[in-house]
Amino acid sequence: MEVRYKKSRKRFSLKNFIYSITIGLILASFVIVTIYPILNTLAVSFNDAIDALRGGIYLWPRKWSLNNYSTVLHKESMMTGLYISVLRTLAGTVLQLAVTALISFVLSRKNFIFAKPISILFVLTMYVNGGLIPTFLLNKELGFTNSFWVYIIPGLVSAFNMLVIRTYMNGLPDSLEESAMMDGAGYFTIFMRIIVPLCKPVFATIALFIAVGQWNSWFDTMLYNRMADNLTTLQYELMKLLSSVSQLSGDANTASITGAAAQVTTTSVRAAATILTCLPIVALYPFLQRYFVTGLTIGGVKE
Amino acid sequence: MDSRIATATCIIFKESMVISMTGVKRIKAEKVKAVKVKITWKEIKKQKELILLSIPFVAYVLLFSYAPLIGWVMAFQKYKPALGFFHSKFVGLDKFKFLFVDNADFLRVIRNTLAMGIINLVLSFAFAIAFALLLNEVVHRAPKKFVQTVSYLPHFLSMIIVCGILQDALSIDHGIVNDILVKLHILKDPINFFTYKSLFWWIVGFANVWKETGWNSIIYLAAITAINPDLYEAASIDGAGRLRKMWNITLPGIKPTIFILLLINIGNVLNSGFEIQYLLTNGLVQSVSQTIDIYVLKFGISQCDYSLGTAAGIFKSIVSIILIFLANSAAKTAGEERLF
Amino acid sequence: MKKRFIAIMMCIAMVSSLFIGCGKNNSSNDNGASDSNGTSTNGADSSGDSSKKIKEFTAFFDRQGIELNDNNEIQQLIAEKIGAKCKETWLTGQTAEEAVGMLIASGEYPDFINWTPQLQDAGALVPIDEYLDKYPNIKNFWSESQWNSLKQEDGHIYSIPQFGNINQKLMDTTQGGEAFWVQTRVLKWAGYPVVESLDQLFKLLEDYYAANPTMADGSSVIPFEVLCYDWYYFCLENPPQFLDGWPNNGRCIVDPATYKVADYNITNTAQRYFKKLNEEYKKGIVDPEFMTMNHDQFLEKISSGRVLCMVEQKWDFQTAEDAIKTQKLDGCTYVPLGITIDPGMKEMYYAANEAAVLSGGLSITTSCKDIEGALQFINDLLDPEIITLRSWGVKDTDYKVGDDGLFYREQTMRDNAVNADYKASHLCTYSYFPNYTGMNPDGKNAMTPDTQPSEFFAALTTDVQECLTAYGAKTYVDMLDYNEIDGYEQPWYPMWSFVGEMTTDTPGGLAWTKMEETKKQYLPQVVIADDFDSSWNKYLDAYKACKPEDFFAEVQTAVYDRIELVQGKRPTE
Repeated sequence: MEVRYKKSRKRFSLKNFIYSITIGLILASFVIVTIYPILNTLAVSFNDAIDALRGGIYLWPRKWSLNNYSTVLHKESMMTGLYISVLRTLAGTVLQLAVTALISFVLSRKNFIFAKPISILFVLTMYVNGGLIPTFLLNKELGFTNSFWVYIIPGLVSAFNMLVIRTYMNGLPDSLEESAMMDGAGYFTIFMRIIVPLCKPVFATIALFIAVGQWNSWFDTMLYNRMADNLTTLQYELMKLLSSVSQLSGDANTASITGAAAQVTTTSVRAAATILTCLPIVALYPFLQRYFVTGLTIGGVKE
Repeated sequence: MDSRIATATCIIFKESMVISMTGVKRIKAEKVKAVKVKITWKEIKKQKELILLSIPFVAYVLLFSYAPLIGWVMAFQKYKPALGFFHSKFVGLDKFKFLFVDNADFLRVIRNTLAMGIINLVLSFAFAIAFALLLNEVVHRAPKKFVQTVSYLPHFLSMIIVCGILQDALSIDHGIVNDILVKLHILKDPINFFTYKSLFWWIVGFANVWKETGWNSIIYLAAITAINPDLYEAASIDGAGRLRKMWNITLPGIKPTIFILLLINIGNVLNSGFEIQYLLTNGLVQSVSQTIDIYVLKFGISQCDYSLGTAAGIFKSIVSIILIFLANSAAKTAGEERLF
Repeated sequence: MKKRFIAIMMCIAMVSSLFIGCGKNNSSNDNGASDSNGTSTNGADSSGDSSKKIKEFTAFFDRQGIELNDNNEIQQLIAEKIGAKCKETWLTGQTAEEAVGMLIASGEYPDFINWTPQLQDAGALVPIDEYLDKYPNIKNFWSESQWNSLKQEDGHIYSIPQFGNINQKLMDTTQGGEAFWVQTRVLKWAGYPVVESLDQLFKLLEDYYAANPTMADGSSVIPFEVLCYDWYYFCLENPPQFLDGWPNNGRCIVDPATYKVADYNITNTAQRYFKKLNEEYKKGIVDPEFMTMNHDQFLEKISSGRVLCMVEQKWDFQTAEDAIKTQKLDGCTYVPLGITIDPGMKEMYYAANEAAVLSGGLSITTSCKDIEGALQFINDLLDPEIITLRSWGVKDTDYKVGDDGLFYREQTMRDNAVNADYKASHLCTYSYFPNYTGMNPDGKNAMTPDTQPSEFFAALTTDVQECLTAYGAKTYVDMLDYNEIDGYEQPWYPMWSFVGEMTTDTPGGLAWTKMEETKKQYLPQVVIADDFDSSWNKYLDAYKACKPEDFFAEVQTAVYDRIELVQGKRPTE
């Protein structure tokens, strides 16, 4: 293998070089365009709030200030929010991944007689929605208000995640299942012993999606746990902080009476809140990244 | 075991390599038609493990996703939260009439939503796949990891921030895009991009691409790792260059993933958005920027008219379902991966 | 080994979350139940003050607001004095209608809530008129006829309006409503001329712009700015009513002589105004970006000091002015001018008025278990001592008392008052509970620090002081005509309180929503059009297609209703 590689390297070195440079340039420009908003947000978050109003901050703060972060971090109940957010992310990721993987496995078995109807049942859930009020009433009836489990149970199986994992499992050779069957293994054993170890890349991907979803969600906190202070999540606390002044609603006449000017949340506090939210994901990501970036061989099954 | 294999026609995922006279490899993946297994009691007993495993999920989905559909009755009522589903006044198809007959606006709104949905679909797929393919070509681990980490970060910025940056960049008042275009003599004077109706849909598409490409490419990168490295080896032996390998091995290798995501997103084409359009709109482009969700907000939710929102939701669901059934059949005929 | 470690950690996390989840479920259920229970059975878990049981209430307001910390100092102080406190929650991430709709659907409400027609229909509110006699502070808050105007169809009163109650006299120093705001340097450059009409104003701007087209740092000056982003589009569409000398009825003109309703959107004045804007736009006087910028960009421009003049409400650009002050840009702060379409007209930008017909306000819901306690709470909040605690803060910490009995603040106190952290942990205004405006009950000071004359002067920059003095004014309000609108003679005022409650249920409400959409779409186009007249006609066509006559018919009926309610007789058509 070494020899062959070297050989091709010699033969196409110029072509390879041009190819590499082109790719390098394209990716570099992509990185520049994409990293700009991040650096900009970072710069704004370290900029004094009143000064940030003027705009014109690009990559470096004009008037350094840590006030934005202290405003965000000093908000009471931020700690509780952090604790609950971490908890729901961990529990949610593990449970949702396990459960989704199982149903994906079942539906990826090609000779499963009910595969098609059940798949349709799942797929349609992505496109039909009873609406906010019926869903809310249902969850209320099931006792999910003022409860930690409302963060996990109602979203336990997402059709999208199921489809992605199922597609991946479809791509695994059938010979694996067949040979295991011949050795007398049941479906569950096949799932646990053979399929699961091979699905690491897709599991890492879906785990990331679920984790990010759990980490970022605040709407469910607002709907169901608004009154339960000890179940608040980090995102919800941040949302409350940022909602002191909003662009989405308002009435000029009432605002002038109540003196809306008294409450100010500026772009810089919003920026600080955003940076704080990304940090844990950015910290977590390298652990998952190796599954996407390095290869994974499908262990020695010969056709 | 043997009899089972004998009674069922096999599905075998074959990888065959075709070597042409010019030394260029083409690697084809064949998929033979899917099997139809008869539903007999014998079969059910054999698969009872699978069936047992799937029962709780079916029950779960019926409860959490389908039970709330009772709420669709709101679309046929003049729903008031106080009266609930069973006592609100029944008005038949009035809400639908309001949407489609009484206001020519709604048809225009559907057009906007559809256009932006399709543009977003095409652009996001093209960029995400291209990015994944290009990134895969990078040999050195460190820059690869760096680029990948940077790429997904914009996903975490809120739309408000992204749109703010975009508006500043496109501003006629020393925005960076205008500055560059004027310096390059492409424009004589700076222009206000947001006054042009024809540009609005593309600006929205670009904002989406900017924010989501890195994130969307993660799935493709994960799928690329599953491609058998032996294929690359064999291609190298036959003298395929990197571009050839990318086109003939990597791209077909992630085809199932691409198709599944395509099918899913075709169904979502009417959900093309609310936040971006809401943040970027102004009076001059209003006729092209209003989406179904914004329209429902203005005429429905803000007026406490939940029935209107539900009616629009039903309409969207029906269109989505029709679209995915059509797309799924198309995928079936083409022999590609499909939803069901 | 590593894998196993991770697996074990995951299992531990899952198991512990199981326990904690269940545990929290139980404890939070208790909390949930007791929060809406206004009785003092769980008084022990608040403040640790065992001698007095403090009642706890909950409130939800469908507006934005700052959520106070649980151990907020002034909230505790007030709680100890009156024996009750209230946890306020605000609107987050939903529209007001959605949030209220969810509450109604769930059937569970906080103790206090802001009145909306939907809540009234849903039967979620408690009538309070029978209790009023027991609570003198509340009863005396509004007059007999004002209470009368609050009666719903069943003859009961369900809400207590919180705002607009003038105690003795208004102490307004800043113009809270709309005006044409001009930078002082423009007036100074022209020698503080008399500027009354639209033409005079724009002539002044043009002249100044020609003489001073750039700022010190080279960036270009923007002579006239109009914000029309989203719901701020009132900046663009509101002026015609003021230019004609009418007060802010908000959505229409009501002629006090004939009681007839008129539409300010299509008057001659409106056409002249937009034509003028169109001309000025072509000359480059109006910001070429005005129709596409968002609110943040607007604040950026104002903060840079480049904008010479705009039509706005002060609270919207207050923070931008603060930014100007920190940059020490001389002459770039604003004073208001009451501009009319022709010189010599009376203008009514500033109108002191206590509305005769009230609507909305603070309500008590059916979920409240201690109605009398709740009313007592509101009552006690109106005690003079508590009012001062709410509006000014703690003596010597937030303000000092001078020898003459007047309150004043030191710089650190002023800085604290705008600090978000400080507001959440120390200040407690109970802003959506009833409060006075104008004078403090002690008769000497103003209700709030902002309206205290001495405090006001201290906050002014020298250029503004100079400017005000040149015009013989001591406050911003003095720059405008002083008007009073008597609640009895013009009981409909302000009409926007009625329009705010319209929904698409009625043909008038539907017409109004369409009119707003049409105005948002066409007015910017009219201003930038090459051919004004054809664009204006297109606008009129689209406007008429919305059936505005339905809207105005409904408003007219409401005007007559209000007159009948207050004066006792209905005007003949």
